[in-house]
Amino acid sequence: MIDEHHEELAALYAFGLLEGAELADFETRLAGDPALTRLVRELRESASQLSYMAPAAKPSPELRARLLARLETAAAWRAQGTAVSFRIPAWLPWAAAACLALTSAWLGQLYLGSRFEITTLRDRQALADFQLRSTRNQLEAERLIASHQVGAGTEQVAALERQLKAQGDLANFKIATLASLLGNSPEALAVAVWNPARQEGVLVVEKMPALAEGKDYQLWLVDPQYPIPVDGGVFTVNPATGEAHVAFKAGKPVKSVTKFAVSLERKGGVPKAEGPMVLLSQ
Amino acid sequence: MKPTVITPEAVAAAERARFDAELLRRMANSDREAFAQLYDRFSRPLYATALRVLRNAAEAEDIVQDVFLALWEKADAFEPARGTAFAWAVTLTRNRAIDRFRLRQRRSELLSKTTGEDAGIRPYGSDRHSADELTLKERAGAVRAAVEALPAEQQVAVELAFFSGLTQQEIADQLSEPLGTVKARIRRGLFRLRDILGGHHD
Repeated sequence: MIDEHHEELAALYAFGLLEGAELADFETRLAGDPALTRLVRELRESASQLSYMAPAAKPSPELRARLLARLETAAAWRAQGTAVSFRIPAWLPWAAAACLALTSAWLGQLYLGSRFEITTLRDRQALADFQLRSTRNQLEAERLIASHQVGAGTEQVAALERQLKAQGDLANFKIATLASLLGNSPEALAVAVWNPARQEGVLVVEKMPALAEGKDYQLWLVDPQYPIPVDGGVFTVNPATGEAHVAFKAGKPVKSVTKFAVSLERKGGVPKAEGPMVLLSQ
Repeated sequence: MKPTVITPEAVAAAERARFDAELLRRMANSDREAFAQLYDRFSRPLYATALRVLRNAAEAEDIVQDVFLALWEKADAFEPARGTAFAWAVTLTRNRAIDRFRLRQRRSELLSKTTGEDAGIRPYGSDRHSADELTLKERAGAVRAAVEALPAEQQVAVELAFFSGLTQQEIADQLSEPLGTVKARIRRGLFRLRDILGGHHD
């Protein structure tokens, strides 16, 4: 249990307001107190959010370009390995200037040459990655069906396969299984397939409990670029079988889906999740 | 013991933190694409913070440049167990901005009514519909609502603690309040923010 005095010190520390002996004493205590360390971490996280209270502003586009150019130049130099040296004839200023000009041109050509080589290598790697992802996704879909995790032979899964094959570009699909968080329906299961190119997907659900009146299930897509999950729409299940096959679109542009979730919400859905989560992907 | 309720927002916050940590890990392997992504995610709140402290666009850009170069060079030193990448970046930014502010000794500008143009503030707008823009506006809205939920005296105390660059005693002098009162307001305000914002961490 952390007393109020140390809570206060933790808050001041999170803001960088401790100094001198007070700071040294607190850091000594912090080193041997895991609970206090956890508290400081939480308070620092909360304090960092205050950056959003600053008036909205953005740096110039030139800053981004400058930083990236700086990193690229440094990388090109490293790729060359040895340093370049040259001797300037100090007694002839015009000769010194000519040497500098020639050297700059030579270095520029090296830089451009290494950039081209890096781009070519990157393209080859991208192609290899694409082929690998395509194979993995196909294998994952087949594994799910073969292991009977999703009812093999059902019309819903056959329709899912037809949709996948028709859409092509399998490599970039996101496929995930969603496991049940329902204590009373642990066997509930879903498979979500997301096509980022088309910004649409398919959700196949099995063994979900029937919905009470006035309720809907709502799908959420977790994209790290957004602070809250993106709405994927509401759906209901067949009350007799607990099944559903839902085509969905995201409520806003999605760059990268890292998780899918389903929550229980009021009829018609909500803009921001309020109800308990019932399914979550790994 | 009360069971922990997992909310989609808490999942989203954890995913964001994990994604940022992964970008830093890739940066440690000299991945410039990861750097660009982290820049796009963090640059605006970091710049806004530096600008709020320094009230000078050129100096604020210097700070942001230094911070991102530091993130690039020290990416391999980042430890997720110690906090999120965003909190780390904000700490670096604040520390540098406050150090520069104190060097300049322009504390009298704390109460100046500087306009956006004077301070070189470039508001959002040209990429109004970008995903990053939407994220920032949603995030800013959530944090503003949390701060406005605090009693007025706690709002002032935490904002001075974060942005002013003043010491504890200087904040107390600024507010014409006893030091103990100011410390208590800072404690209560930050703890309340922690409770309200909960899993809304970048």
